[in-house]
Amino acid sequence: MRDPQLATAAGLIGLLVAVAVLGPVLWDQDAVGIDLGATLQAPSWAHPMGTDDLGRDVFARFMSGARISLTIGLVAVLAGSVIGGAIGLLAGALSGAIDLVSMRVMDAILAFPPLILAMAVTVGLGAGLTSAAIGIVLTSIPFYARLTRADVVRIRSANYIEAAGTLGATRMRVICRHIVPNAIVSVPILAAANFGYVILTLAALGFVGLGAQIPTPEWGAMITQGQEVMLTGAWWIGVFPGLGLLIAVTATSILADRVRDLLDPSGRRAGGALSVKETAP
Amino acid sequence: MTARIFGRVAGSIGALFGASVLAFVFLRLAPSDPARLIVGEFAPEEAVEAQRRALGLHENIVVQYYRYMRDFLTGDWGFSYSTGTPVSSAIEARLPATIELSLYAFVLAFAAALILALLATYRRRPVVDGALRTVSFIGLGTPPFWLGLLLLVTLSGTGLFPGPEGRLQPDVAAPPNVTSLYTVDAVLAGQWHTLGDALWHMTLPAITLGLVPFAFLVRLLRANLLEVAREPFITFARSKGLSRWTAFRRHALPNAILPTVTAGGLVFAHLLAGSVLVERVFAWPGVGSLVVGGILQQDFAVVQAFILLGAASYVAMNAVVDVLYSAIDPRTRGGQGLQG
Amino acid sequence: MSAGEQVLSVSGLRTVFAARGGAVTAVRDVDLDVSPGEKVGIVGESGSGKSALALSILGLIEPPGRVVGGSVRLNGQELVGLGDRELGNVRGRDIGIVFQDPLTSLNPVKKIGTQLYEAIRRHHPRLRKHEVRRRALELLHDVEISSPERRLDDFPHHYSGGMRQRVLIAIALANRPAVLIADEPTTALDTTTQAHVLWLLDRLVTEHGTAVILITHNLGVVAEFCDSVHVMYAGRFVESASTPALFANQIHPYTEALLGSILRPDRLEEGPLAAIPGAPPDLADLPPGCPFEPRCAFGNGREICQTVRPEPVTLTGILHGSSEVECHFAEERAARGELAAERT
Repeated sequence: MRDPQLATAAGLIGLLVAVAVLGPVLWDQDAVGIDLGATLQAPSWAHPMGTDDLGRDVFARFMSGARISLTIGLVAVLAGSVIGGAIGLLAGALSGAIDLVSMRVMDAILAFPPLILAMAVTVGLGAGLTSAAIGIVLTSIPFYARLTRADVVRIRSANYIEAAGTLGATRMRVICRHIVPNAIVSVPILAAANFGYVILTLAALGFVGLGAQIPTPEWGAMITQGQEVMLTGAWWIGVFPGLGLLIAVTATSILADRVRDLLDPSGRRAGGALSVKETAP
Repeated sequence: MTARIFGRVAGSIGALFGASVLAFVFLRLAPSDPARLIVGEFAPEEAVEAQRRALGLHENIVVQYYRYMRDFLTGDWGFSYSTGTPVSSAIEARLPATIELSLYAFVLAFAAALILALLATYRRRPVVDGALRTVSFIGLGTPPFWLGLLLLVTLSGTGLFPGPEGRLQPDVAAPPNVTSLYTVDAVLAGQWHTLGDALWHMTLPAITLGLVPFAFLVRLLRANLLEVAREPFITFARSKGLSRWTAFRRHALPNAILPTVTAGGLVFAHLLAGSVLVERVFAWPGVGSLVVGGILQQDFAVVQAFILLGAASYVAMNAVVDVLYSAIDPRTRGGQGLQG
Repeated sequence: MSAGEQVLSVSGLRTVFAARGGAVTAVRDVDLDVSPGEKVGIVGESGSGKSALALSILGLIEPPGRVVGGSVRLNGQELVGLGDRELGNVRGRDIGIVFQDPLTSLNPVKKIGTQLYEAIRRHHPRLRKHEVRRRALELLHDVEISSPERRLDDFPHHYSGGMRQRVLIAIALANRPAVLIADEPTTALDTTTQAHVLWLLDRLVTEHGTAVILITHNLGVVAEFCDSVHVMYAGRFVESASTPALFANQIHPYTEALLGSILRPDRLEEGPLAAIPGAPPDLADLPPGCPFEPRCAFGNGREICQTVRPEPVTLTGILHGSSEVECHFAEERAARGELAAERT
């Protein structure tokens, strides 16, 4: 393990997870309760990240924000990869009309810059964390679907599949035993790279008012809230959640990069199609 | 070549049609009722019904889609009650500010990416290269709106740069309108003070908006340069007597920069999304802040128009980039020529 | 011959590549003399250091590689230690090179003409545009590109493999250099094209009196083209002789093995082709004795071969001249060869 960058990234992610899981247990301050007697206090021992304009402890809100970002990030990546992967598998394995229709739908989704489509979904479904997550999942699906489909098509044309066919294996058996296990190998690589994009987009939607709503302590929404009072000198409200985002996204993309190098040294598979580097807002 | 352009345009129109249906589905058939949104939460049911009729929501879906597209294509994008003008004129008024800022952000991002990628790859400096990789990761992980706030707090607080006050200082008048881009108009009118003020106001927003494209481009250029620098034709060029730098400049640089054209669509998407996230932080009077204002004031006509326009321009940009690349790359330009 | 007569004189040249497991010495104290107009062949397996030697002579070794010692004199001028700029004045004017792969040696996005002009202009900056063009047309004509006026504005992918290789030769010879290094110039081409390119190269260098260093793994090409041959193994010349002498007596066992591994119709009845067993040695970790010992049919297992590195031995009076060989048993093997020759 002579990779300081990787070690740092892994350590920071561990720290964030610890904060998200253990934070509320160890730190008993309220993340949403208003205390007008303690507004806009600078960081101190009692409030390591200060308090906001309504007297809420920013540290407690920061930790809740970590939980929200990491949980939704995880759920959205899982949902996107499962749905997208399934569409890709079906389209590739069954080909024909299903393939054609599903790929045209994927094209339509890809016609939007990702953030813009996520905005459309949240506007339609009504602003909130759930609609934001649905919007983000929707924008992720085509990347998984295209990747898996391409893998299935490639594997189907490989010699050993044809050999299995000529040996009398049924189509279903070939698909389940040979194609599926080989085609889903690239999905985790893409998923790892996708994680940073998800939490960054979630925060972006929160920032423009389409994601988490007041008083939910989501990081993006906290930055919006901090924006109002920041120029009067209360920098801590917006700075800490942004720092959390920066660490979470950067660390996971470094980790994803190394995972990809490890699982796929040739860079042939996922190729980072949906990593932060190409689709971040 | 012509066939390629036609094919690309046809593909784009197909994707746009799909996208418009998708946008229609999400914006019109979603559970929230646009009529209810317009008349307000506490309006009587009759008022909602009247509004529904006015919006044509009682028609069947196909007719609704037809009207929706007809209105969009004829430039009738509805009325923006937050600005009190039709959406089209609200966007038209805001567009130049967004275009000007995006152009500067792009120029900054590309120049910085090129210089740094060169420093890291020319003569292989492992330390610079490692630092650059880290910077690029951090750049892609930084929420742009947060960076904007950070820059405002640290730099404009000290008076080095203006606060969030838009394109010019309040007491500086806009230059005579020719292109609506203040910097260009100021040059045309010879108003150097205005030019300086406009550039000064643009610096922080452009850096903020350019960060993600920068981090993206620097990766791409670095990888391209590393690959091209290993090519035998670089060594062969040096064997002609060209100095290391000349061989690199003439043969490695163009070959490394050329493929970045294909990333044009993605850079455009970054800038488009970035304008929504960044402009408001700097009170930049562009389309992005118009849209965020529309969201906060429930003025959804503006948001809808922006979403469709964003998709249309993104598809168009991708098509243009594709055609452009095949036009400038000699390997895909024209036929195979004579052999033998 | 005295040093003054040589157009190129390499002595003690040593090139090292820094690698993870230590340094790899690709060229080990090589001496090489080339007279004006002489055609010298360098033969060896891939990985024997042939290309590293070529790049070292031109000063084109890139990090992590480095020329760590020795001297390269071109027309009496020392090249080792010169800066990039001074070397640039020599490269392309006094010495040119042609690489193996004609496809990757030309920039795919630049016109053929541009890549030719560049070579001419670098050393004749005062030439007018039309003069440069005329010279380029002459060069293309020389390498038998038909209707060159129309081909100047073409891109490399419009040219066939053989044409590209001829363009490389035109570029390398653009300024009538005294020495041309041809690094496997025909390996990437099909057999018919190979023969034509080789014939063309021969004609051009003979016309201009250019000395050629032909690097190849193909002994047939050497027999046809070269005046003298150096056999390279693990970064050293293990046998150097005139072409007739080398083909008459293969004194080093490696040379013998190399010749034994090519198909010769006159020897078909002697049995199947003999491949050289094993692989070239790891240059980062050479055995203490003779580097060829582990694969040597003659010396394998002998103590002196395993422990002592052989010194070069000069043998005179063998069939067709003399030879310089790095083998502990050079004399013994030479005598045996003479006996065999006498018997026939």
